[in-house]
Formats: sequence, structure tokens, C-alpha cells
Amino acid sequence: MPYILATEGLSKHFAGVQALRTVDLKVQPGLIHALVGQNGAGKSTLVKVLNGVYPAGSYEGTVRLHDAPVRFSSPADARACGIAYVPQELQVLENLSIAENIYVGQTGLESKALVRFNELNRRAAQVLSRLGVALDVRAPLASLSAAQKQLVMIARALATAPSVLMLDEPTAALSVHETDRLFLILERLRSEGVTMILITHRIPEVLALADWATVLRDGQIVAEIPRADFHEDAIVSAMVGRRIDLLFPPRDTPIGTEEVLRVERLRVPRPGGAADIISDASFSVRRGEIVGLAGLVGSGRTEVLSAIYGRIAHEGRVFVEGREIAIRQPADARGAGIALLTEDRKNAGLLFNLQLGRNITLGNLHLFANHGLIDRDREDTAARASMRSFEIKAKSIRADVAHLSGGNQQKALLARVLVHTPKILLLDEPTKGVDVGTKQEIYRLILELAGRGLALIVVSSELPELLGMCDRFLVLSNGTIVDEFTKADGSEERILQATARGPVRQQIATA
Amino acid sequence: MQPTASPRLSRWRLGALVLALISGGEAGVCIALAALVVVFYLLNHGFLSEVNIRAMLDAVAYVGIIGVGQTVLLVAGEFDLSVGSVAGLCAVIAGWLMTTGHVPVALAVLGGLAAGALLGLINSIVVVRFGIPAFIATLGMLFVAQGLTQVITNGYPIYPLPDVVGNFGQATSLFGIGWAFVILLVLLVVGDFAMRRTTLGRNIYATGGNKEVARLVGINTNRYKTVCFMLVGMLAATAGMLVMGSLASATTSIGQGWELTVIAGVVVGGVSLFGGVGTVLGGAMGMLLLQVVQSGLVVVGVSANWQQVSVGVIMVLAVGLDVVRRKLSFRQVHSVSDVASLLTDLEVATERRTIQRSVGATDDVRVTTTEHNIERGRDS
Repeated sequence: MPYILATEGLSKHFAGVQALRTVDLKVQPGLIHALVGQNGAGKSTLVKVLNGVYPAGSYEGTVRLHDAPVRFSSPADARACGIAYVPQELQVLENLSIAENIYVGQTGLESKALVRFNELNRRAAQVLSRLGVALDVRAPLASLSAAQKQLVMIARALATAPSVLMLDEPTAALSVHETDRLFLILERLRSEGVTMILITHRIPEVLALADWATVLRDGQIVAEIPRADFHEDAIVSAMVGRRIDLLFPPRDTPIGTEEVLRVERLRVPRPGGAADIISDASFSVRRGEIVGLAGLVGSGRTEVLSAIYGRIAHEGRVFVEGREIAIRQPADARGAGIALLTEDRKNAGLLFNLQLGRNITLGNLHLFANHGLIDRDREDTAARASMRSFEIKAKSIRADVAHLSGGNQQKALLARVLVHTPKILLLDEPTKGVDVGTKQEIYRLILELAGRGLALIVVSSELPELLGMCDRFLVLSNGTIVDEFTKADGSEERILQATARGPVRQQIATA
Repeated sequence: MQPTASPRLSRWRLGALVLALISGGEAGVCIALAALVVVFYLLNHGFLSEVNIRAMLDAVAYVGIIGVGQTVLLVAGEFDLSVGSVAGLCAVIAGWLMTTGHVPVALAVLGGLAAGALLGLINSIVVVRFGIPAFIATLGMLFVAQGLTQVITNGYPIYPLPDVVGNFGQATSLFGIGWAFVILLVLLVVGDFAMRRTTLGRNIYATGGNKEVARLVGINTNRYKTVCFMLVGMLAATAGMLVMGSLASATTSIGQGWELTVIAGVVVGGVSLFGGVGTVLGGAMGMLLLQVVQSGLVVVGVSANWQQVSVGVIMVLAVGLDVVRRKLSFRQVHSVSDVASLLTDLEVATERRTIQRSVGATDDVRVTTTEHNIERGRDS
């Protein structure tokens, strides 16, 4: 059978670590080919070989495009051969227009030294209409939502008229609604004959969209499954190498009666004066209770946590164990026993200039210091203990955090916020970009912390996860709490309905 | 895990190892330094003569003292271009106090230190409070301090100073090396220890590594930055007053051209321009390396023109190594925008140098070199 893109015996090493071993990927034309696997399974490495980030010569084996061996020396090479790549992180120029963002780096639209803007805008509009998206191509990127920016990234890839389009976790930053719309767009592209490689670790997406799934584990292909044989259990067990029978451990500890956290009339004004980001939110969390904060991306979920933690300017009153706390900066919140696990590990979590162990002890050095002098033995002992109890897989506490997988990075950050046990723990997307195995460890940890009497607030875009984990739910829409219910009344439908009830501020305009 | 070695792969890994070694900060700069010393010694045994060693150490002492502070400030994620003219102004203030002001010498020296701390505080307020980039803020301070020096002195050196000043400045300690070098050694030991072993040092690394992360774990990043700016100001004042002592005169040229020498030196020594990375010891080694190159070329008799070229190349390497180091360690993707902003900074530096050259400054070497930097950066 002719494959549009294939690899033969592809292997790649990084300083002692084998990231890929003899991978034979086979992608058929015109299909959506899912590439699934846990973090660290080798998906990203494989993709980076395919799109020239790792140049020919830095790996072993052959890459074949349309049956002919190809050797890319750069992403530009791969692009020229018809391989387009949409990275997971948004790479956009906020100050340029949509059209300019779509055609950035592509030549041929200039007459001599001048850009022909009319032509540029016309072509950009064509690409967007192909995606079924109605946006003004002259609008600056900064005015778009994250989901719309994601679409501009896809449009940029499409503008090169690729024969293979690779999408790396395209739904990572999208809400349920936005994901559905994106899927419609991908299906439309498939009907036009575009071959797509979808890199993901969300199994429902594979089930919903893909025609074929290749499962990677530890740098090897462990399963190649056609759509006819798709089954959630089969894919999950191939990914983890063991069956997951129980994703959510049972809740067996009682919820206390005492209010640990009370928030009254929380308001977060929007810089620039338009509608508030959070308006008039009041709620409380009891000892040992896990409260889930649901809502679309942009509904203000993260901002509620940020405001309580003193990360952003806000109004309103916050009480911890009945005592009002003035929180102007994170240090105030920490002092009151509040801890925050941020969503963005890269920019608001890890310190890449410090080793793993020092990332864990960061902010709690006073526990290992006498009069400002760090006792390194005590610090290292504590870091090692954290590494063991959180099962962080790394060579030692001296490891470079940049080289850890997403799951291990997240465990390191959890270890950090729990070095000094807080009373209140705020978790923003605690399982984002984390493999299935680690997810379960995080669920277990969250329940254990609740059992120890912590009050927890969890933000998550994955509704099954939220429903499985939390005792009570608050649904946010446009910065307002629009619904509140307990686990007994909780369902995906109820959350989605509550979300839909609020006026939707910004959606992808789909034709 | 035993990798199945193929010849190509193991060669690739060897290359990576060598690169990692070169870019590894202290180890790399120590090897480079040792190599340079050996080369210059082989070319001319006079390079390691007592006189020349003494001369090199004395010369590196003044800028080295500032380098300790600049390293700490760079680790905290900021930098200070005003160190040279702050050094000059503080020397002149101390000189004025002990002559026209009739203040006892000890108090006058304290006055100079206080002036340095105050100028550092002003720098930090402008940067931290008002959010003006350190480059612009401290460049402004560079001009302000230079101007104030002229205002105080009217362009004439303050002379004569009380005898004790010149006596101290020209006195020698062990092995005939001046006291400035002894002060540098003390600062190196204290500074290196503080950065490695104290919560203060660790929190400075956190602040420079990622200000938002540091803030989220409860570190008062603004306060740390303020302290670092004030430290640099005081160390600049110290160096300025030491030069004043060695000259027995508070001349208006004290500190001229130090700012870029200091930054280039510590960056050669593995201190990152982007914050969070580097050690005090490494920074000092880098400064020594630059000094060795300059003295070495004099000793082996290379013409002055080629000396300028060499200094230029080293300075370009300073930035180049930093970029390589960042690439090797898979840091965050911000490097592109960081490099871009750095280039803008260097462009402004070039402009300033050009202006200074037109008003008669002598060290136009650096004009050429910063232009090289910009060209190089754009190509890569």
C-alpha cells in the first residue's frame, strides 16, 4: 500500500536516553492519523524528526514522503516538501494582523520590497473561508481568543498547501465547545483530501475523529489500530501497558463542617474598563472538601484562583478559618496557608535555572536554613524525600527540570506546594499535559489531601475528571457563578447547560 | 541504560560533551584562562614575571570589585550600565567632602559609599517601581552621574587630597599587590558564599530565573532587585574611591569605560545576560581572562591595533557563548525575543559610545565590537 509518509527503523538518542527506537510509522493518505502515547512516549520527538526540527543526521533510519526517502535539514525544508506543523503552543505575533500572521515567513507576496496587502488579505480570507471561519483578516491577533488564535495557526499551516498537516495537541487550550468546532473543521479538511497527523493523549478525541491510531510507548510503536477496532480500553492499556480499571479512587473520608475558605463579593476588574473579568463571586469551601470550578476557557476560572492567591488585582473579602485576610500579593496568601498550583508550568511554575531539588524547596527555604544560611544536607534530604513520596522519575535531585516529562514536572510542582502543608490548595488544571498514569496518581493525591483536612478548589477543562473528583461544583460563565450543585446532582449535561446559560462573550464564528 | 553505540552517534555525543564543557561556565572559563596563560608564557616568559602578574592583578582589582556586584545583579535579572560614571561621581564626592567639605577622611569615604548606595537606589526605583527597562534607566544614570561629576569639579581634578588617601591607595599588601585586590578577594569569597549557600542568594537566582515564579512562591522580587542595585552602586563607589587613592587625586576620568568591560568580563565568565545563571567566582574568572588577554598581547608585543581587534573578538564571544549555553540547556523559548531586546540594547550602547567618542572619550574599541555583536546576532 502506498503510504504518504512513513519512517523505517527510526531511532533517536539524547545524551544517554533513547527517545525513539526503530519506529516504523505508516501514514495513509487522506486520513486522520492519531499519534497517541503518554508524555515522554516519544510523540514529540517523532514529530520533530518528521518536520525537520531534528535534522537528518541527528537520527538513524529513513523518512519517506510519497515513497521517496527525504532528508530534511530544517523545518523550512519540511515545509517546502509539503509537511506543515501546528505546534501545541501558540506562536503568533500579537501586534500583526490575522493575514500577516497567516503568511508570516512566506515569500511571494511582495512586489520588489513592498508587501501587497490587498493580495495578502485576499488570500488570507480564502484560507480562512476554507476553514469555515469568518474573521476580519485585518484584525490584530491580540484581539482574538486563544481558540481563534489556534485557528490562525492552522490557517498558517494550510496556507502552504501541505500534503500532510501535523497538529500537536490542538485542543490543549480549547474548551469543549471550541474543541467540537475544531473537529468539524478537521473533518472538513479530511473530506478535501488533506492527510492529518493528530498528536494527542486525549482518547475521546481519537475515538471521535481519527481513522487510524498509532500508539507509542517508551519510544516504540506498541499498537496500530484501525478505526474499526477502536476501543477506549484497548488504546488506554496500550498507552500505559496495564489496564486501568479504576480511574477515580473512591471518596471515603467525610467532609468537615467548618468553613476554611470564604470568599465574599470577589470582583476582578478588567484593565481598560470593559466588563469585569469576575463580578461579584461569593462562595466557601469547607475542611476536607474538594470544590470543582467549571466553565469555558475565558470564563474566569483561572482568575478566581489568581485573585484569591493575590496574583492579580481584585476587590472583595477573603476569610481563612473565619479570619479576614488582606491579600495584596502572593506572599500574603501563602502566609495565610493558601497554596496555588498554576496551569502554566513553563512560565509560572518551574525555574529552569535551578535543579529539580531546588525547584521543590523553592519558597520554603526557611525550613532548611539557620539565620539565612541554607543547610544543604537538610535541604537535599527533604528534596529526596519529596522525590520518593511523589514518585518523581528523575536521575537525582540534581536533574535538570527541563528534561523531565510533563507528568514528572507536575509532580515536582505539587511537591513544592506541599513541602509546607497548606490549609487551602488551589489547583489550576492539575492534570494538563500529564500522562494517564500520573493523572491517576494526582487524583489519589488530591483525595488524600482532602482526607487530611485540606480545602481544595480544582479548575479543570476535562469534565469527567472534575465530576469524578469533586464534592461540589461551581459553574462560571463570563465571570459570574451561574450554577452550584453537589456531586449527587452533578453531570456533564448540567455543567454544559449552566455554561450555555450565561451570555457567551466570544466564540469562534463558524460559517 | 547502555546505548547501542554506532560510530556516528558516539561522535555526535562527544561533540555535545565538548560543547557542554566549553559552555559550562566556570570550568570552561578556567580552562580557557589556563590555556591563554600557557600560550602567553610560551610566547614570552616575561608574561609570568612578578611585575606583570602584579600589574594584571592590580588592574583587574578595580573592575573586579564592581564585577562581583554586577554578577549578582545580572543573576537577579537586571543590569547596570552606570557603574563607571557612578564610580567616578562617588570618588569626586568623597574627594570634595575631604577637601572643600573639610570632612574627616573616614566620613568622606562613608559619604562616597552612601552616594553609591543612593544612586543604586534611584536606579532600582526607576526600574522596579516605574518599570523602565534597566538599560534605559541605568543609561540615563550614566549621563546624569557623568554630568554631576562635571558640575562638582568643573572639569578639574580635585587635588591635593589628604595624604592618607594617596598613602593607602599606593600602599601594597602581601607580595606587593595593592589593597584593592585584597578587597576584591574578600568580596569574592563573601559574595560567592552568599550566592551559593544563603536563602538570600537562592532567592536572587529565583528572581532572575523567572520573576513571576519567584513572586508566586512568596519572594519579594522587587526588594531583592533593589538590594542588588544598591550593592552595585556601593561597589562602584568603592572601586572609584580606590582608583582615586591610587592616583591621589579625584580626577573626572575615573571609571570611564568600565561599564561594558565589567559586563563583558562577567559574561565571559558564564554569567547569563538573561538572568538566573552564573556565579560570582565565574564572573571574576571572566574578568581575569579579559585582563590576561589585554596584558598578554602587550607583553608579546602585538601592535595596539591588533590588541583592539582581540578585545573585540573576546567581547563578541562573551555574548556568543551565552547564546550557545542557552541553546544547549533547552531553556524556555523566550530566547528569540530576549536576543532581540538584547540587540536593541546593544544598538543603543553603540549610539551612546558614538556620542561619547564625539565628545572625546578614548575607548572607541567598544564601538566597533558592539557593532560586531549586532551583525553577528542578526545573522544567526
